[in-house]
Amino acid sequence: MQYSLRQAFRSGKFVTGFALFAAMLVIVIVYPLIITYPPLQIIAQGTFFPPGIYVSTYDSVNAPTTYTLNLDDAAAKRIASKLKAEDRTAMKEWLVAAGIPESEIDAADTAKLLAQWEANYDPKKQVAGMTFARSRYFQRVNTSISGLLSSEGAILATKAPDTGALQQAGTVKQTDYVNVSEIPNVRLLPLGTDNFGRDVLTELIRAAGVSLEIGLVAGIIATLIGLTLGLLAGYVGGVVDDVIVFITNLFTVIPGLVLLILISFSLGQDKRGPVTIAAVIGLTYWVWTARSVRAQVISLRNRDHVNLSKLSGHSIPHIIINDILPYIASYVIMAFILQISSAILAEASLSILGLGPRTTDVPTLGLMMNWAMIYQAHLLQKWWAYLPVLVTIAMITFSMNLMITGLDQVFNPALRD
Amino acid sequence: MKGYRKYFLNKLGWFAITFVFAFLLNFILPRLMPGDPVAAIVARQAQGMSNSSGVQAIYQQYTELFGTDKPLLEQFFLYVRNALQGNFGFSFSQYPRTVTSVVGSAIWWTVVLQFPAIIVGWIIGNMLGALAAYIRGGFDKVLMPVAIFVSNFPAFGMAIFLLVIFGVGAKWFPTSGGYGFDLIPSFTPKFLWSAIVHYQLPFWSLVLIAIGGQAIGMRSMSIYELNADYVKYSRFMGIKDRKIVGYVFRNAMLPQITGLALAIGTMVGGALIAEIVFSYPGLGTIMLSAVMGRDYPLISFATLIITIMALLANFIIEILYGFIDPRIKATQAD
Amino acid sequence: MANVVLEVKDLTTKYITRFREDVYAVDHVSLKVEEGKSLGIAGESGCGKSTLALSLMGYYFPPLYYTSGEIIIDGKVISGMKPDDVRKSVLGTEIAYIPQAAMNALNPTRKIINFIEDVILAHDPTENKKFIYDLARASFEILGLPPEVLQKYPVELSGGMKQRTVIAVSVILRPKVLIADEPSSALDVTSQKMVIKMLRSLMDTGFIKAMIFITHELPLLYNVTDDIMVMYAGQIVEQAAAREAVFDPLHPYSKGLMGSIIVPEAGLRDVKLAAIPGVPPNLKKPPAGCRFAERCKYVRAECKVTAVPLYAVGNGRAYRCILAEQVLREAYAHGQ
Repeated sequence: MQYSLRQAFRSGKFVTGFALFAAMLVIVIVYPLIITYPPLQIIAQGTFFPPGIYVSTYDSVNAPTTYTLNLDDAAAKRIASKLKAEDRTAMKEWLVAAGIPESEIDAADTAKLLAQWEANYDPKKQVAGMTFARSRYFQRVNTSISGLLSSEGAILATKAPDTGALQQAGTVKQTDYVNVSEIPNVRLLPLGTDNFGRDVLTELIRAAGVSLEIGLVAGIIATLIGLTLGLLAGYVGGVVDDVIVFITNLFTVIPGLVLLILISFSLGQDKRGPVTIAAVIGLTYWVWTARSVRAQVISLRNRDHVNLSKLSGHSIPHIIINDILPYIASYVIMAFILQISSAILAEASLSILGLGPRTTDVPTLGLMMNWAMIYQAHLLQKWWAYLPVLVTIAMITFSMNLMITGLDQVFNPALRD
Repeated sequence: MKGYRKYFLNKLGWFAITFVFAFLLNFILPRLMPGDPVAAIVARQAQGMSNSSGVQAIYQQYTELFGTDKPLLEQFFLYVRNALQGNFGFSFSQYPRTVTSVVGSAIWWTVVLQFPAIIVGWIIGNMLGALAAYIRGGFDKVLMPVAIFVSNFPAFGMAIFLLVIFGVGAKWFPTSGGYGFDLIPSFTPKFLWSAIVHYQLPFWSLVLIAIGGQAIGMRSMSIYELNADYVKYSRFMGIKDRKIVGYVFRNAMLPQITGLALAIGTMVGGALIAEIVFSYPGLGTIMLSAVMGRDYPLISFATLIITIMALLANFIIEILYGFIDPRIKATQAD
Repeated sequence: MANVVLEVKDLTTKYITRFREDVYAVDHVSLKVEEGKSLGIAGESGCGKSTLALSLMGYYFPPLYYTSGEIIIDGKVISGMKPDDVRKSVLGTEIAYIPQAAMNALNPTRKIINFIEDVILAHDPTENKKFIYDLARASFEILGLPPEVLQKYPVELSGGMKQRTVIAVSVILRPKVLIADEPSSALDVTSQKMVIKMLRSLMDTGFIKAMIFITHELPLLYNVTDDIMVMYAGQIVEQAAAREAVFDPLHPYSKGLMGSIIVPEAGLRDVKLAAIPGVPPNLKKPPAGCRFAERCKYVRAECKVTAVPLYAVGNGRAYRCILAEQVLREAYAHGQ
């Protein structure tokens, strides 16, 4: 076994897969130790905040020290962010429609364009052929650019507690800057927030952990069932074999997902915790292991060393443990890895159907997918809500498959090129 | 022909037995669970529903129809009798439609989507796998990692990718539904065109997934066959390479057909989830809305139909396989 | 002097490995087989005897490549012909091959008769099926195989029957030379006997004119063939009549190898072969001197310096060793 392991680590594919998997495992374990936010805490009011660094505006305004930086391009950047190229052409379009000769308008000259706009724009004016939505758009543009060229600062006011009158408390100049590290409230949301306003990254890493646990539990259950049935069928043979083969064939043709759906639904949502779901997956996904273990055992059954052991009067359990299991161990390990990854996929499929684990404190990869689908993240182009989940699922299954392929090449030399 | 008949009858018998078991499972599984699922569901539903008397009415009808308050054996005979009459009760969520009518309108969408996709994916995948094995070199080096990655990808993931890239991003195809929402299903050119356009993304996402797995399988089968002793011997007997390649691919393809028969259940399951992504009006989407509406009779019937579909597909493939592989007839004859 | 059916002059072929290294598995081999004679080739596994068999066909595909030398069958030079011409007018008609694992030599999804059709049509596309069937049936009858075999798939035949079918298919076009590579090694004793009997009958019934028989089972060679050639590391190290090669070997390697023929128990064969200590040299970098030097009991300093030629000692006998015949015989007499 030790030798086989060393062999496995010589296979490039296995090492790559293993490294990928180990890296994910480390992240799943270490991240919650450093970042201790509850994974399902709702922090955002609203849905799908894009990824980025969120800085408290209140704290920025009240920053202990402000710095003055004279940056040449500051004004230009400020205008550019408010007045995009498409807004400029839209404004030009409005002005032309309002009767200004096209030759007099230069969309690139910000000052002139704004001056013309201020002089001519009238929100009440009906331009022929313009839809209501379009005129609302111009109203929005108008509000956002008002005061854009002003070089004055913004005035901060406080409400006097007794009279309620506003008193000037200070100004924020255009050249005022704060240092982010001095702001007490900054939250990094590398993957933004989801539809419920939860931190996607924290949620994702916890979900990956829970999904791996589900995979592990389901994998252990499925492998144990498959191994036991396969050993019994292969070694004992006769009627036992016939019955087990019959059951196995039955469960091969009946789609596993259908069984999962039936059982999960029948369980009722109150009883559907992650462990229950894992157990249900394990109970329905053992078929392939049983099939292949049986085939392996049959090929081993009449080998010399097994016959020798039989002649020596060893008991069946003794023979199975000492003369059969060591020879199929590598195979069972491969089947186990495969079970883990298919269980993770099964959980995802179930959850997308709305039959996933019902939890309030931990997410799973499937549940995250389910939420993203229900809130149509994919149609709203909120990629951060579903893409990282998909990539995580793909990485898990890919790394496991690489490990299996690598092991396969080590244990079945015929497959090497 | 005697050998084939034996094979056919054998498979038919097996199909019948599996069918009976699937039917039994479908009946027993929900009833094995503690409590009366229907009652529990109705009770929960009634709490939040204004039309609780309506639900109560359906429940009563259901109890009467399937005798859910009677002993299990009696229930079973009632169930069989109703099933034989095609009566599977009313849908909770789409009352007053019966579950047969709900599933009946969805099943064709699923059949027309899934089976062509699986077959096309199977054919393309096998061709690519065979080519990769035969040409090797650069083609193989590019195709294989892609195929491995794609085959590891869940069907719903591929569906989302295609949807986001070609539907939301490029806007080449509609993003949801089986036809334009302003149309009523009919055999007009306008409707058919709309259905074809809506068909593309779900179809290709299933095809791509199938290609990945099949290409890998076919490649290793072909490599194995290309190194088989009969290839060398046939060459030394002066047979043309093209003919030998024909032998090899035929022989490599045969295990691929049995592989397809075994995998069809899994593929159907994956495809159902992909349907949900596209809100395709097939069984997958029906299943989702049934789960959301806690529509127990609908789920029960839909799962039964899906199982039968998978069994039937499996049966048809096995039957065709018996035709194609001469060894079946030969070995069965003795 | 009898008619020479197969003549090979200085044939060299190589494998090109995945890492683009050349491995000369057949290195300047020359041989002659006369009409009605059979030649045996002996050697440990990996000595190049199977590669020689492949190389003699004159039809090369990766990773085996032709390098130099000539193959002449019945006066016709086949080396240097275009591959497709070789395929059409040499393979199966001039020279035929029985592979090592004849168990799997037949396409499992094709009936025997269909495969024979494929073979014959590959040489003459105008032949009609009736003619082919009659020809196949006639051949099978002469060779003592039931004609029903023709309508069967390979899976329906037993191991021995499969092997005999392969032999019958190989000689269906009456090739002049038949190369049999370990044709009986995977069979049980009874089937083995039938296969050998059949092979020996091929020349009497006029199906073939000459045969090359390759095996590591020396007793078999002695019984079946007229001459024996011993190969080591891609080269011929000894050529002699069967009796001489077995009972009076000259080359130290032949001596070690032939030791096993005296031992009747088949199970001891492997033990005996392993009794020549060491392993064959790596052919990617063959040694400059005698290739057997590392394992030779009688090695001298000069053995490792220059390559050793094949010395002819008359009577068609030759061996590749710098020591004189007499010296070797004395060494064997005392040294054992």
